[in-house]
Amino acid sequence: MLSLIDLLLPSLWDTLYMVFTSLIFTILFGLPLGIVLVVTEKDHILPNPIVYGALSYVINMTRSLPFIILMIFIIPFTRLIAGTTIGTTAAIIPLVIAAIPFFARVVESALKEVDWGVIEASIAMGATPLQIIIHVLIPESMSSLALGVTITLINILGYSAMAGTVGGGGLGDLAVRYGYHRFQTEVMIATVLVLIVLVQIIQLCGNKVAEILNKK
Amino acid sequence: MIQIKQLSKIYSKGKNQVSALEDINLTIEQGTIYGIIGLSGAGKSSLIRCINRIEEPTSGEVWINNVDITHLSPGELRKVRKKIGMIFQNFNLLSSKTVFDNIAFPLRLNKTPENVVKEKVMALLKLVDLTEKAHVYPSQLSGGQKQRVGIARALVSDPDVLLCDEATSALDPKTTKQILSLLKEINQGLGLTIVIITHEMEVIKEVCTDVTILEHGRVVEQGKTIDIFSKPGNEITKHFVDQIQHLPTHLHNGTLLSLSFTQGSAGEPVISKLIKDLQVDVNILAGKIEWIQEKPIGKLTVEVDRNTVPLAQIIDYFEKNHVRVEVFNYA
Repeated sequence: MLSLIDLLLPSLWDTLYMVFTSLIFTILFGLPLGIVLVVTEKDHILPNPIVYGALSYVINMTRSLPFIILMIFIIPFTRLIAGTTIGTTAAIIPLVIAAIPFFARVVESALKEVDWGVIEASIAMGATPLQIIIHVLIPESMSSLALGVTITLINILGYSAMAGTVGGGGLGDLAVRYGYHRFQTEVMIATVLVLIVLVQIIQLCGNKVAEILNKK
Repeated sequence: MIQIKQLSKIYSKGKNQVSALEDINLTIEQGTIYGIIGLSGAGKSSLIRCINRIEEPTSGEVWINNVDITHLSPGELRKVRKKIGMIFQNFNLLSSKTVFDNIAFPLRLNKTPENVVKEKVMALLKLVDLTEKAHVYPSQLSGGQKQRVGIARALVSDPDVLLCDEATSALDPKTTKQILSLLKEINQGLGLTIVIITHEMEVIKEVCTDVTILEHGRVVEQGKTIDIFSKPGNEITKHFVDQIQHLPTHLHNGTLLSLSFTQGSAGEPVISKLIKDLQVDVNILAGKIEWIQEKPIGKLTVEVDRNTVPLAQIIDYFEKNHVRVEVFNYA
């Protein structure tokens, strides 16, 4: 029993490291991308059909690749950035690349929920587009954004298990190496249980945060 | 002063072109409360949005205090907008900010020092009577309270003009009256020019000194509210003034006259003198007093027998006695 925990804990740590580091980079790149996507749309505050069209196209393209293919496809890029293609740090790169377009769409739909009347009122007050983004669009959609981050986090967790199968480390790696290759069913079950608990905790926290942020 | 010159607005959707406003000319004097009334689709919402260029006019000019705002750069336009307050039918408050922060919002956009912000916001909270709600979120307020926050927010940057876009349409009649008297108080206290668009004649009657009636994107009537009320010259105006009073048709068979008595004529027994002088039968069908900003207008609907005396003579008699006459021919 002790050995099972000894196996699980480092893998859990690896997974959490991968997932949360990826989340930080995903928000860092995905949030601005989602914002640009919204404001450049027709009839919004900075309409620009070329920027909007190009971004939307690239996002759809990236999202249409299955994660496992994407991961292999960008190996040279991963090596360039991380210096290696094996291990948890290397896995972060494909995870971030896959999660950015997903999160950008999540941000897009959250920001689109902001009542146009409120934006119009800010324009009438003489607010600049940047002020509208920072002081209106983002604060007004904070609750939806928190839920969006939750969904994205769970998504990254799912991807990270896949990354494990190609030497990424973490719970997915553990399940494949012990549970699958060595026929240690109890390791497989334990991994699945840990993942279930993890997803539940993330969703619960996300809902709670969204509820606190919601002033409507 | 606001001057609108030959303003037109055309919406294009694919091949379809819809003309929302056509050749609008308006002059709104400093310090007046100016009403623009029309049915939905008359173009009043587009018109008020062209005044601060939230909507771009297709052609024409909008002059505010001798600046043509239709030719300003985005940066200059933002500066002008800071001096034009606006309130909305749906209030458009930031749900993520407290009442205090909503009112402070325009000031903080201008990076006003916090001590000045606090002072100004507290003063406005007092004006709109919401001091104890300062740290509450808008979702916990009633419609009337939300609109008062909207008014405070619009006034916080000391505007020259306040635009009201159907500001009372989402409120019940009692709250509407409260908001209107607040607007009137602000108009008198701060000398602010207020432009109100509405579909409710009550709003115009209550506060507006001047009125423009819009129909299908065109101005159909323009003038002092009291004049428009005592003698509406146009079908759509009559619709708003509603002076036929929906008389049951079986009650009359002659010629109906609608009479408006303003201050000069109200003291004279005009009807009784008419009956004696012209020997004509008059049947009184309906009557009421309308109040246009504390000025009474007496409205009387009467039936006369045009066979005994020519109608023109009767009308002439009324006009001489300063009674405004309108003829409805039912028979």
